[in-house]
Amino acid sequence: MAGARQTQKAATRERVLAAARDLFIAQGYEAATVRQIATEARVSVGSVFNAFTCKAEILSEVMMERLDCLYAELDQVLPRLRGSTTDRLRSMFALFFAFETRHVQLILAHVSIAFDWTLPAGATPFGRNARIRELICECLEKGVADGDVDPEADLREVVELLVAAYVWTYRMAAWTAADAEAMTAAMDRQIGLIAEGFRPRSNL
Amino acid sequence: MKHVSPSEVGNEGRAKPPTRRALAKQQTRGKVLAAARQLFSEHGYEGATIRDIAAAAGMSTGAVFANFSDKSDLFREIILMDLEQLVGEMREAASRARGVEDALLKIFSTGYAFFRPQMPLARAMFSVSWTPQEGELFRKLPQLLDVQSLMLEQLNTAVDRGELGQEAEGKVRAALLFDAYLANFRLAIFEGWSVEALQARARDQIRIILAGARRG
Repeated sequence: MAGARQTQKAATRERVLAAARDLFIAQGYEAATVRQIATEARVSVGSVFNAFTCKAEILSEVMMERLDCLYAELDQVLPRLRGSTTDRLRSMFALFFAFETRHVQLILAHVSIAFDWTLPAGATPFGRNARIRELICECLEKGVADGDVDPEADLREVVELLVAAYVWTYRMAAWTAADAEAMTAAMDRQIGLIAEGFRPRSNL
Repeated sequence: MKHVSPSEVGNEGRAKPPTRRALAKQQTRGKVLAAARQLFSEHGYEGATIRDIAAAAGMSTGAVFANFSDKSDLFREIILMDLEQLVGEMREAASRARGVEDALLKIFSTGYAFFRPQMPLARAMFSVSWTPQEGELFRKLPQLLDVQSLMLEQLNTAVDRGELGQEAEGKVRAALLFDAYLANFRLAIFEGWSVEALQARARDQIRIILAGARRG
């Protein structure tokens, strides 16, 4: 019986997430209420709160689910990317920006709640994502194997710096309503500079 | 040239003592700001209400509104006060540095040391500035970029001194430094990094960012 209950609980979760995603996209995160989400998902408000502690956690989950699609796409694309490490990094981040700017208000709300009080510890807010770090790291490790990344370089720091540049480049979307193309161009320049920091010494 | 009227010159010569009324008003503002700072730090921007702020300052909601037009006005005032003080401290620290790497590191460290005792407020600032509607006002504050400008100044000075090459691409590099500076706050806010740990990370970041610009 516990199994059936678990299945039902998971089904409720899925319904809530799907309804929330549609509502967030249609009218923005701030405007959408938990009551609306419940109505849309055809469950009670109580069931929503049974599955999630707050609206912020729902957004956090919606964003993670969206990213699963992106990662599936990247798993296909990344192994086929050719060229220097700098080029491969640029292609990868261009894909990120193109994906996230499909719903730019969502990503801004996502960053905002990442610093919010109400987010429960279990949720994964923006900037704490481990998968993106792995992808970048794999890209750099391939570079070490290919000889265009200094084996002595502190890859962990390079990864963190790339993530920092990536996350904060989104402020162009909030501050100046920049599109994916503008943000990709800004990121490309930053990647170029970071690459100077991990290039093998002999190439300098 | 700035136009200065004779009466203004006179005022500068001997500062007119503020009236009691003006003093009282200033005191009230100070009390409201202190209470607001406390509540924003405890409950975030959304969680703090004008009513609570007034109660904490020991005055009526009306008295708060006589001094500030709304909550965002209050919050903005606090941010501006902090930024002005912070950038002043950063500039001072950078002026005592040896070389560009040290100057940048001092700027980073001053920022972390400044906000370390008031991380919840920093957290509220980050949260508000990314909010689609509410954040609009904050994002337009030119002072938000003062730290980045100060970083750019250090790079330009280093180019003039010959420490960095002419092709240093100061603007992109300053933006990247600013990204790194901001991103590290996440570690302080959520993972409790100490100022020393942040400083060590900043040193590595600055080295990577400057690597391509160094001469020779």
